Amino acid sequence: MNWLSDYFDIRRTDAIWTVLLLAMTLGLPLFISNNYYLNVLVLVFLYAGMASAWNILGGMAGQFSLGHTAFFGTGAYTSTLLYNYLGVSPWLGLIAGGIVSMFFAVIIAYPAFRMRGVFFAMATLAFGEAIRILLIYSRKFVDMPYGLSINWEPGFSRMIFEERSSYAFLTGGFLLIVTLVAYGLSRSYIGTYLRAIRDSEEAAVAAGVPMRRYKMIALLISAFFTSAGGTILAQYVLYIEPTSVFSINYSIDLPLMSLIGGIGTVAGPILGAVIALPLRDVLLELFGGAAAGMHLVIYGVLLMVIVIILPDGLIGGVKSLLRRLQRGQTSGNRTTDKRGRK
Amino acid sequence: MQLVLQLLMSGILLGGVYALAALGLNMIFGVAKIVNFAHGEFLMLGMYAGFWLMVLTGINPYWGSPLIAVVFFVLGMAFYWGIMRFTIYSTELTQVFTTLGLSIALQNLALVLFSADYRTIQTMPDGMSSLQFLGFHLSTDRVIAFFFAMAIFAGLILFLKRTFTGRAIEAVSQDLMAARLMGIDTQKIFLITFGLGISITGVAGAVLVPSFYAFPSVGTFFVLIAFVVVVLGGLGSVTGTVVGGIALGLIESYVGYFSPDLKEATHFILLILLLSIRPHGLLGVKGAEKETLK
Repeated sequence: MNWLSDYFDIRRTDAIWTVLLLAMTLGLPLFISNNYYLNVLVLVFLYAGMASAWNILGGMAGQFSLGHTAFFGTGAYTSTLLYNYLGVSPWLGLIAGGIVSMFFAVIIAYPAFRMRGVFFAMATLAFGEAIRILLIYSRKFVDMPYGLSINWEPGFSRMIFEERSSYAFLTGGFLLIVTLVAYGLSRSYIGTYLRAIRDSEEAAVAAGVPMRRYKMIALLISAFFTSAGGTILAQYVLYIEPTSVFSINYSIDLPLMSLIGGIGTVAGPILGAVIALPLRDVLLELFGGAAAGMHLVIYGVLLMVIVIILPDGLIGGVKSLLRRLQRGQTSGNRTTDKRGRK
Repeated sequence: MQLVLQLLMSGILLGGVYALAALGLNMIFGVAKIVNFAHGEFLMLGMYAGFWLMVLTGINPYWGSPLIAVVFFVLGMAFYWGIMRFTIYSTELTQVFTTLGLSIALQNLALVLFSADYRTIQTMPDGMSSLQFLGFHLSTDRVIAFFFAMAIFAGLILFLKRTFTGRAIEAVSQDLMAARLMGIDTQKIFLITFGLGISITGVAGAVLVPSFYAFPSVGTFFVLIAFVVVVLGGLGSVTGTVVGGIALGLIESYVGYFSPDLKEATHFILLILLLSIRPHGLLGVKGAEKETLK
C-alpha cells in the first residue's frame, strides 16, 4: 500500500509547509517598520492570497485559467465605483464585487467548461481581454473618467489606513482566510472530487462525481477571492484604470506563482509569491541600472529554467530530492507525462 | 455596393496577412502539440529584422525575406534544441509557462535593444503607396504581403504533401507513436518543424512592418489574433489557417468600418463563441481540441 502512505504523506507535508510559511510571514508586520519592506510584504500577502484563490480552480480542479484578471478588475471596479459614486463602504463593495465576479464566472463557465487544458486557457484569456475592451468601450455611453482615484481619507469603514502596517495586517488576514478555505477544501470531499476531475474527467464522471457542479464551485470560490484581492489593491493604491487592473499580467502572475511553489498544493502558491515577487525586486535592483527591462529579461529566463527543471514546483522538487536521497536512486519520479502514458 | 466591395477587398487582404502571422503557431501546434505563447514575440523580432534590414542596408523586407527566413529558421531550431526539447513530453502547464517565460524575456530584450519607440518603414515611393484596381483603393504593401502569404501557403502545402520530410511531418502530427515506430526520427522532425514555423513567423513579421508599427509588446496583440485565426480555421490545419485568417480579416474589416472601437472585442467574443460551439474550428479535425489532454 505504498501509494496510500504517499497520499497521506503529501497531505501532511503540505500542511507543515503551509503552517511554516504562514507563521514565518504573517508575524512580520509586527517587526518591520521600513515602508519599502512593508510595501513588498503587502504585495506578497495579496498575491499569495490571490494565487491561492487561482490555485483552487487551476491547481486543485486542474482548470487552467488565464483570465483571472477579469475577476480582479471587476472587484477593483465594483467597489471603487460603489464607494466613489454612492459612498458604499469598500467592505460591502468587496462582497458586491465578489458577487458580480461570480456572475461573470457563471457566464464564462458555460462555454469554457466544455473545453479542456490549453483551450480552456485560451478561452479564459480571451474573456479577460474582452472585458477590458468592453469596459473602455462602455465609456462612450456613461460619463466615467478613464482612471478613478479614491480620496485619501483614512478610516476603518472606508478601508483606508494611515499606517502601511495596517495594510499588511489587512492583506495578511486576506491571505489567512483564503488559505484556510483552500485547506478546508483540500481536506474535504470537495477537494477529493476536484482532484479526481483534474486527474481524469472521464474516470471522475464514471465514478459518479457531478463534474460540472464541482468545477463550478471551484470557479466561484476562486473568482470571489480574486475579486476581493482586486478591491483590496484598489484601496491600497487608491487609483485604478482599465489597463492597470484588467492587465493580463495578473492572469499570468497568479498561475505562475502557483506553479513555482507547487501547483495543486495549499502551500505552493504562498511559497511561489514569497519567492517570485521579491525576486523581481532584487533583479530590478541588480540589473535595473543597466537598461530598462533588463531585469525582466533575466526574470523570464529564470522562469523558463525553474519551470523546466522543477515541473512540480519547489515543493515537488524538494520532495523528490528527499525521496532520492532516501532511496539512494537517481531515477526521477515524474507523475505527469503527457505522451509517455500512451 | 462599392463600399461593401471595398471592405471585402481590404478584408481579404488583411485576412491573408493575419493567416500568415498565425501559420507558424498552427504548424508548431499541429506537429508538436505545443501552444507557443512566445509566438507573438518571434513575430515582433521578425518585424524588427525587417525594420533594421531596411534602415541599415536599404534592402526592403520583401527582397530581404529569404535572408530573414534563413536566420529565423536557425533561430527556430535553436528555440527547439535549447528550450522546447526539454518540455516536449511535459505537461501543458510546463509548456505554457516555458513559452510565457520566453515571451517575457524576448519582449524585454527588445525593449533593452530597440527601446519602446514605435517604428515603421516606408517601402514604396510616395505616389505608389496605394493601388487603383477596378476603382478600389488598396494599400500596395498589403497587396504584396497578401501575395507573400499565398506563395508561402502554396509552398508549404506542396512541401508537406510532396516531399518525404513533409510527409514525415504530417505523420508525426497525426500520431507521434506510430510515426516513431515507422522509423521516423521525431527529434529531427520537431527540429525542422520549429525551424519552419519560426522562419515563416519571421518572414510574416518582416512583411508586416511596412503596414503595422513595430514595438516591443506588439507580439501580445498578434498572438491573440493568431489564436483566433487558428481556432477559427481549425487546429493543425494549414488550409484552415488561410480560411480562418480571411474570415477574421473580413469580420474585422466590416466591424471596424461600422464601429472601430469594438473591433478588438469582436476578436475575443468570436474566439469564445467559436471555442464553445465548434472547438475544432471550421476545417479542423473533430476531437483535436481534446488531443492536448495531459
